[in-house]
Amino acid sequence: MSFIPGQPVTAVVQRIEIRKLRQGEHLILGFSIGGGIDQDPGQNPFSEDKSDKGIYVTRVTPGGPAEVAGLMMGDKVMQVNGWDMTMVTHDQARKRLTKKNEDVVRLLVTRKSLEQAVRHSMM
Amino acid sequence: MFCRNQTTRATVARCSALEMEIRRGRFRRSVFLETLQDSDIQKKIDHEIRMRDGACKLLAACTQRDQALEASKSLLTCNTRIMAYMSELQRMKEAQVMQRVARRSSEAGPTDDRRPCKGKVAISDLRIPLMWKDTEYFKNKGELHRCAVFCLLQMGGEIHDTDMVMVDRTLTDICFDNTIVFNEASPGFDLRVELYSCSSEEDYSAGSTPRKLASKLSSSLGRSAGKKLRAAVDPGAGSPTGGGATLLLPVPAVAGPKYHLLAHTSLSLAHVQDNFRTHDLITSGNEECTYWVPLYGSVCCRLAAQPDCMNQQMMSGCLKVKLGGDPQSSTNVYGVLKGTNLSCYHRQEDIESNVEPAFTIAINKETRIRASEKDPDSNVQSISISNLYGGEEVTHTVSADSRQETHRWMEAFWQHFYDMSQWKQCCDDLMKIDLPSPRKAALVTSKQGSLYHEMVIDTAGDIGTVTDILTRRMQELELRSQLGTSPPWMSLFAESPGRQRSPRLAGHSPRTPRRLPRSPLSPSRCPRPSLLSSDASLTSDSDSPCSTSPCSRHGGLAEPLSLPSSRFRPRTLSLDAKLSTLRGRGYGGALQCSCQPPTSSLTPIPAQRVSQATLSCSSSTSSNSSSEGRRSPESLDSSPFSRPSSARRSLRSMRAKLDPRNWLQSQV
Repeated sequence: MSFIPGQPVTAVVQRIEIRKLRQGEHLILGFSIGGGIDQDPGQNPFSEDKSDKGIYVTRVTPGGPAEVAGLMMGDKVMQVNGWDMTMVTHDQARKRLTKKNEDVVRLLVTRKSLEQAVRHSMM
Repeated sequence: MFCRNQTTRATVARCSALEMEIRRGRFRRSVFLETLQDSDIQKKIDHEIRMRDGACKLLAACTQRDQALEASKSLLTCNTRIMAYMSELQRMKEAQVMQRVARRSSEAGPTDDRRPCKGKVAISDLRIPLMWKDTEYFKNKGELHRCAVFCLLQMGGEIHDTDMVMVDRTLTDICFDNTIVFNEASPGFDLRVELYSCSSEEDYSAGSTPRKLASKLSSSLGRSAGKKLRAAVDPGAGSPTGGGATLLLPVPAVAGPKYHLLAHTSLSLAHVQDNFRTHDLITSGNEECTYWVPLYGSVCCRLAAQPDCMNQQMMSGCLKVKLGGDPQSSTNVYGVLKGTNLSCYHRQEDIESNVEPAFTIAINKETRIRASEKDPDSNVQSISISNLYGGEEVTHTVSADSRQETHRWMEAFWQHFYDMSQWKQCCDDLMKIDLPSPRKAALVTSKQGSLYHEMVIDTAGDIGTVTDILTRRMQELELRSQLGTSPPWMSLFAESPGRQRSPRLAGHSPRTPRRLPRSPLSPSRCPRPSLLSSDASLTSDSDSPCSTSPCSRHGGLAEPLSLPSSRFRPRTLSLDAKLSTLRGRGYGGALQCSCQPPTSSLTPIPAQRVSQATLSCSSSTSSNSSSEGRRSPESLDSSPFSRPSSARRSLRSMRAKLDPRNWLQSQV
């Protein structure tokens, strides 16, 4: 999932729709993210390319809305509700996921297994 | 006197002039008599006219800019709606007249035009990116030039407007949170999106129309005028275009802010997708206009459509289904045609009781349906449905009880196929339309909600004042813990639990004495070394004197903290505030890691000591993580459903976040 700056990025993505869970006044999704253009990409254990500054899912709480929707640990988040997540700071990413007036977030995520599946099906 | 004829819908007085004209065959009654649809539209027009009157009055009366802008927006919406209704009325009249003309010339055969089913179209998450010039960003002098914008969405006769958004140069995108659903859309719909804007600094009082005249104009277009208009629009015998075309309602000119069209675009079925897409905007206006907002030129939104054939039962009835050509295996079922399936239930009652259907036959674009010859035994035609399941062709033969039933089923299938061909990509899968929840999320702050804007520091550079302010702030607001912002020194503890924080403390407030850590806290608060999946959350700023009060988010602390005026309070208070909020949650609760701040004058080090104590248990887990070769302090996620971080930033978390050595993780 590396990219060349200035060139279009193509990825096989899966759509994941997460309905936020309401806990009192708070809306939670049930996963943790890491990464961002302001973070050190070398410390990302999930990325193939250690210069990838994208947003990755580092943890999915079991039984939470994200797990139910099919999100997996290690997924790279490409878009959230139409907003791009490949070139955002960590805090921007967090904010886009935790908007109070949105009950549902629709993510586009990519993972290695998707690419492999597509490759195999094409063979 | 009155002749009540069964064929007419209303009465016509006998021997009246109208009756004579009708008898002479000049007019048909239907032309003059109000149809049900007409009266509907008329009611809507009257309603909108009343709304418009109200908006005009409000506009004239209000003094605040915001109110005036809102009222002007309602006015514009009302006007547009009235125009739309009038033109629809006009169209209907014309259609009636054309029909009458066509009938007269008696040329029309049975028009077998199949109509596709209607559907719901929803547009949501409208976002219009802006492109400010860099000079705008860095222009700090003068106040913000603000514009009020809103979107008007029009499909056929339905017009909706979004909420108004104030735009200034701190905004990168204009976002409209509304979800707008159009209920009676046909597949050839044309959804027009128009963006209106108005500068919010105009002088409104310079109205061109004197007030009296304005009110006169607005009131003169009341109910009576509407009725007259309708009668006038009603075309006479020979003029289909009637006088209605020339009669356009003049828009009453009122003093007040006026919105101008800034950009527009049209969306149709080709733009519908179960995903977010970007469309181009056609902008009008240029930089010189007062209402100009620098648009990037596109609009991003989610346009979803739910045709009725996908979420409603199109046809249902009792059927006999045979798989393949085997005459023996015929089953009696109750079939329901909905979406891309023909679901066959054993009994009709199963549908209500939510029992799974016995089996389902796919009805999609690849299905082929033929009517087969009459079955010699039962003399009933049957329908064969063929699908390709993974390369194999599977045929079901379906027959109904009687000829009419079979014919109705065939008709339903044809209609279904037609619908699917018209709605195209919307029939592949049911698109979800989220209706906005009626309860609005409480707006947390005004636009400038950051801590910096609220801090007014009288005595410059006094850290005490700052912390006092922080204390007060935290008292007012329910500060949730800042997740994912472990200060960098956490890693120090991870590697060597015993190390003091002294390197960090140096150079900060001169008032931080390096006393030995007191231990009123430690004995009673032995953290149990059973940190399961969670790690300590460190929420305080790294450079503050007593900042580190890590806590584990399980269970509750003893009591909420009372607030002495010690300047070191805020740090630990936040801990308490967080913990007290967490008490209610009741998740996890495995660990009772109490980090209760001392009751009396705090020194920086005791808190640190506490942190050390607690960290010693957490260091095991963090060292686990660090053993993976990365120094990444895990953020707090004790309970399965911990809280997302709040929108507020505090100084401490900012510093922690900005440290590049961390690989932050945030829980959402």
